[in-house]
Amino acid sequence: MRVGLDVGGTHTDAVVVDTTGIVCSAKVPTNHSNLISSVMSALINVLGAAPSPVSAVHLSTTLTTNALLEGKTEPVGVLVSSGPGIHPLHHRIGDAFFVVDGALDHRGAETLPLDAVQLGHALSACREREVRCFAVVSKFSPRNAAHEKLMAAALAKQSDFVTSGHMLGGRLNFPRRIATAYFNSAVWRTYNCFADAVEKGLLELGMKPGIAILKADGGTMPFAVSRSLPVQSILSGPAASIMGITALCDIHGDAVLLDIGGTSTDIAVVAGGAPLLVPDGIGLNGRQTLVRAMVSSSLAVGGDSALRASADGVSVGPDRCGPCMALGGSVPTLMDACNYGGLSHVGSLESSHRGMAALARQLRRDTSAVAREAVSRAVTAIKAAVDTLVGAVNEKPVYTVREMLHPERIVPRKIYMVGGPAHALSDAVSSAFNLDVFVPEQHAVANAIGAALARRTCDLELFADTERGVKLIPRLSRTERIDRSYALDHAKDDARQALLSLLAGESSADVEIVEASSFNMIQGGRLAGKNIRVQCQLRPGIQEAYLSAFRRGS
Amino acid sequence: MRAKNRLGVIVFPAFDWAISPTHPERQERLLYTQDQLREEGIFDIPGITEYKPDIASAEDMSRVHFCIPDVAGVTTESHRISAGGAVRAGRLVMEGRTDKAFALVRPPGHHAMKVVHGNRGFCNINIEAVMIEHIREHYGQKRIAIVDTDCHHGDGTQDIYWHDPNTLFISLHQDGKTLHPGSGHIEELGGPNAYGKTINIPLPPMTGDEGFLHVVDNIVLPILNDFRPDLIINSAGQDNHYSDPITNMMFTARGYAQLNEKLNPDIAVLEGGYSIQGALPYVNCGIVLAMAGLDYSFLHEPDYDAQQLRQELRVTAQIRRTTDAVLENYFHPKPHKNYEPGSFVSRRKRIFYDTDMISDEQVESVMRCDECAGLIIIESVSSINPPALCIEIPLGACARCREAGVERHEQELTCGRYRILQLINRPEKIYGNP
Repeated sequence: MRVGLDVGGTHTDAVVVDTTGIVCSAKVPTNHSNLISSVMSALINVLGAAPSPVSAVHLSTTLTTNALLEGKTEPVGVLVSSGPGIHPLHHRIGDAFFVVDGALDHRGAETLPLDAVQLGHALSACREREVRCFAVVSKFSPRNAAHEKLMAAALAKQSDFVTSGHMLGGRLNFPRRIATAYFNSAVWRTYNCFADAVEKGLLELGMKPGIAILKADGGTMPFAVSRSLPVQSILSGPAASIMGITALCDIHGDAVLLDIGGTSTDIAVVAGGAPLLVPDGIGLNGRQTLVRAMVSSSLAVGGDSALRASADGVSVGPDRCGPCMALGGSVPTLMDACNYGGLSHVGSLESSHRGMAALARQLRRDTSAVAREAVSRAVTAIKAAVDTLVGAVNEKPVYTVREMLHPERIVPRKIYMVGGPAHALSDAVSSAFNLDVFVPEQHAVANAIGAALARRTCDLELFADTERGVKLIPRLSRTERIDRSYALDHAKDDARQALLSLLAGESSADVEIVEASSFNMIQGGRLAGKNIRVQCQLRPGIQEAYLSAFRRGS
Repeated sequence: MRAKNRLGVIVFPAFDWAISPTHPERQERLLYTQDQLREEGIFDIPGITEYKPDIASAEDMSRVHFCIPDVAGVTTESHRISAGGAVRAGRLVMEGRTDKAFALVRPPGHHAMKVVHGNRGFCNINIEAVMIEHIREHYGQKRIAIVDTDCHHGDGTQDIYWHDPNTLFISLHQDGKTLHPGSGHIEELGGPNAYGKTINIPLPPMTGDEGFLHVVDNIVLPILNDFRPDLIINSAGQDNHYSDPITNMMFTARGYAQLNEKLNPDIAVLEGGYSIQGALPYVNCGIVLAMAGLDYSFLHEPDYDAQQLRQELRVTAQIRRTTDAVLENYFHPKPHKNYEPGSFVSRRKRIFYDTDMISDEQVESVMRCDECAGLIIIESVSSINPPALCIEIPLGACARCREAGVERHEQELTCGRYRILQLINRPEKIYGNP
C-alpha cells in the first residue's frame, strides 16, 4: 500500500492506493503558513481508514516553490568563476554574489587558475555577513569540476551547506546552473526542517515508510536525495495532475493531456506514451533553471472564466470573478454556459439560465447561441494553445542531416481530459481537434493518485575526452582517468551503470540513452582523440504493479 | 539582460557530415561553438531565439547556379540544409519575426560560382546567393549589400554578382598574392553593367583589429552609406582570427564583435574559419552578442594578449594606401570603356576546383545594357563534364535581354551543339533543363 499526497493551492489531497485501486482518500484545506500541519492532517485523515501498513509515501509539495516565490529564503553566498564570454555580473543573483577569477574552456582545460586571493576575500565577506549556505559555480564545470571543488573545499569550515554546480547535472548552461544552485541553497534549510517534521510525524504515527518527493518532470526522488537537492521539488504541482492522468488512462503513442480547472487549463504533451520533457529546465522567479520539467503550457480558460459581452461577441476570461452563478457567483462563467447548453448539471441550473439570459440580452442575441459561442470560443482558445505547444516541440532544432531529413514529429492521436469541466467540454474538444477524447473517472484526486503512482526519474550525463584522458559524470562528481581506446560503447555502458547505481536496485526500469555522440578531434591532420558525450535517463512513468487496477475501464 | 535587437540564430553543425574525416570542414567544426553558446545561456536571453534551418529546394539552388550536370550531381543533403539555414535567416528578417538573423551553418558557400561542377574551397553551393535570390523572389527586388569578412577572397559570390548593379559586393580578405584563391585585387570592380559595384579590399598578412576596423570605418561604411542598401549581409568567415591554421591574420573575437556592431548587418551567414577550438567559440559568440546589441566587453580568447596582437606600423601604412585606392575607385572612378548597349562583352575565366581537382574554362558574355543586369551567356568546358552552355536572363530583365535570351536558347536547342544546355529565366521562373 502506498500514499500519494498533493499539497495544492486550496486543498491538500491524500489518497491510499494498493494494487486493487483506491483504498481511501481525503481532502483538507491547505494552510500555507504551516504546510507540515496540512500534510500531517491529510495523512492522519487518510491513514485512519487504512487497514494495512503503508510501504511508501509520495509527496508533492509547494513548500520550495512558495518559499522562493515569497522570498522566504535564507541568504546564499554565490561564488562564481567565469571564463570569457558574457560578463558574469549579468548573472548576479542574491545579495552575496562574488566573482572569483579563474577559467576553464569548453573542453574543460584550465586556462586561468582559480584566484586564491579573491576567493579569500569572498570567504571573509561571507563570514562577516554570517552567510552559512553557498552555491559555487564555474563556467564549464560539467567539463571539469576542479574549480568548484576547490571553492567548496575552501568553504568547508564556514558553511552548513554548499551546492556545487556540476552536481546539478552535465548540461551546459552557466546562468541556469548559477540560478539553480542558488535556489537549491536558498531553500535547503527550510526544506530539511520540513523533511525532519514529516519523518518525525510519520514516526509518531508508528510508520517508517519509504518517502519520496515528486519533481516537476513527473518522477519522484527519494527523500534522502531530496535533502541535498531540494530545488528538484519546485513546481511539481502540474506534474502531479499530469501523472494522475497517465495513471488513469492507458496512453499509447502521441497524445495531448488537458487539465481544465476553474481558472486555467494546463496542457501537456505525451510522446510514445510518456510525458515529454523540456530540453533544459523550468523557469521560476524570472530565472531559468536546470530543473527538468514536462513540456506544458497554461492558458487562462477554465470553468470559472467570466463571460462578458464584447464588441465581437462573448469573451471567455481571462479573469474569474468567483465561482459560476450555478454555485452562487455573480457573473456568468463558462460552466454556466455548459449548464445552459445541457452539457453539465452543476449546482443551480436556474441561476445559470438567469446569468446566460442576462448576457444574451446585453448582446441582443439568442441565449442558446451565446452559450454555444462561449463554449466554442473556449475550445478554440484551447486548440490554439495546443497547436502552438505541439508546433514548438516539432520546431525544436536538430543538428544532424539525418534528423533534418527524417524528423521525429509529434502527431497527437487522442486527447485525455481531467478537471471539473472536462466532461462538459469533451464533445466540443473532440470535434475541434477531430480526435477521440477520453475523460477518466475518479478525477477528483487525480493529482494525489499521480503522486502516489509516479515512478522514480533520474538522468545523468557522461563526458569523456580521450586526448585529455578523462571521463566525468558531473552529477556524481566522479572524474576518472581513461585511456585512448575508450569509445562510445564504453561510455554508454558506464553511463547506464552509473544511473543504475543511483537507483540502488529499487527500479530496474528501462534506462534510456537520450544522446550519444563521439567526435573525432583532429589536430594537424591527425586524430588527437575522441570527444564523447552520453546522456541517459529514466523517463517519467507509472508503477507497473498498479497499472491494471487504475486503467480499468479506459 | 535583454537583446536590443531581436535575433534569430540558426545553428546547424551537421554533426554527421564531413568532406573527409580529417578535413577542416568536418563534424567537429561547430561542436565547441555550440558548447560555448549553450554554456553562455545565449538562447535563454530574451530576444534571442534558436530556429531550425529550412531545406533549400532544388529551385532555390537552380535559381542561382548552373549545376552541371544537375543539382543532384553537385550537392548533398548537407548543402541543401546549409543553404536552407541561410534561407531561414532571410525569412526570419523579411517576415519580421526577428530584427536580425545569424545562420551558423556548415558547409560554407562563398567560393561557389555561377557555374558549379563540384566543390572548390570547401564550397558547392553559394549559400548567401541562394538566400538573397530566395528573398528577391519572394519579398521583392531588393538592393542588397554583401560584406564578405572571410579571410579568403569571396570569389564565388563576386562571380555571381559581377554583373548585378543591385548587389554591392565588398570583400575584405588577405591579399591574394599570399593566400588562396589568389583573386580579389583592387582592380576587380565588376562587369560593364555593374561597374564599381564589386569592391575588393586586399589586406596584408598580419592585419589586426586596428586594420580591420579602419577599413570598416573608412571604406565599408561610407560606401554603404552611398549605396543605401535595403539589406546588409555579412558573409562571416572567422578565419581572419590570429589562431587560424590556414591564414596569416591577427583579428580577434572582440574585433569581430566590434566589426559587426559597426557594420550592423541584417543577416550574417557563417563562411570559413577553421580554428575550431581557439577561435570559433569566441568569435561566433561575439558576433551573436554584437548583433543582439549586447555587451561583449568580457569576451576574449583565453590566450588573448593585446601586446602580442598589436598591428605593425608597416601593415598600418599598407592598409592606409589600400584604403585611399579603393575609395578613389568607388567615388572617383576612371571612365569605364564605353561598350555599345546591345553588344556582348566577354571575359575568359579559368577556374580550378581545389577540393575536387576539376578545371573549367569559361567564356562569359554579357549583353551591355542600361535597363537591366543584362543577358549572360556562359560556355563552360570542364575536365569532367561535356561542354555546357548556360543562359541567364536576369531578374527584372528588359524586353531586349529577355527576347535575346529566349531566342538564343531556342537556337541552341535546335542545333544541339552542346550536350548540356541550361537556362535561368528569372522573369519566367524557368530553371535548369527546360
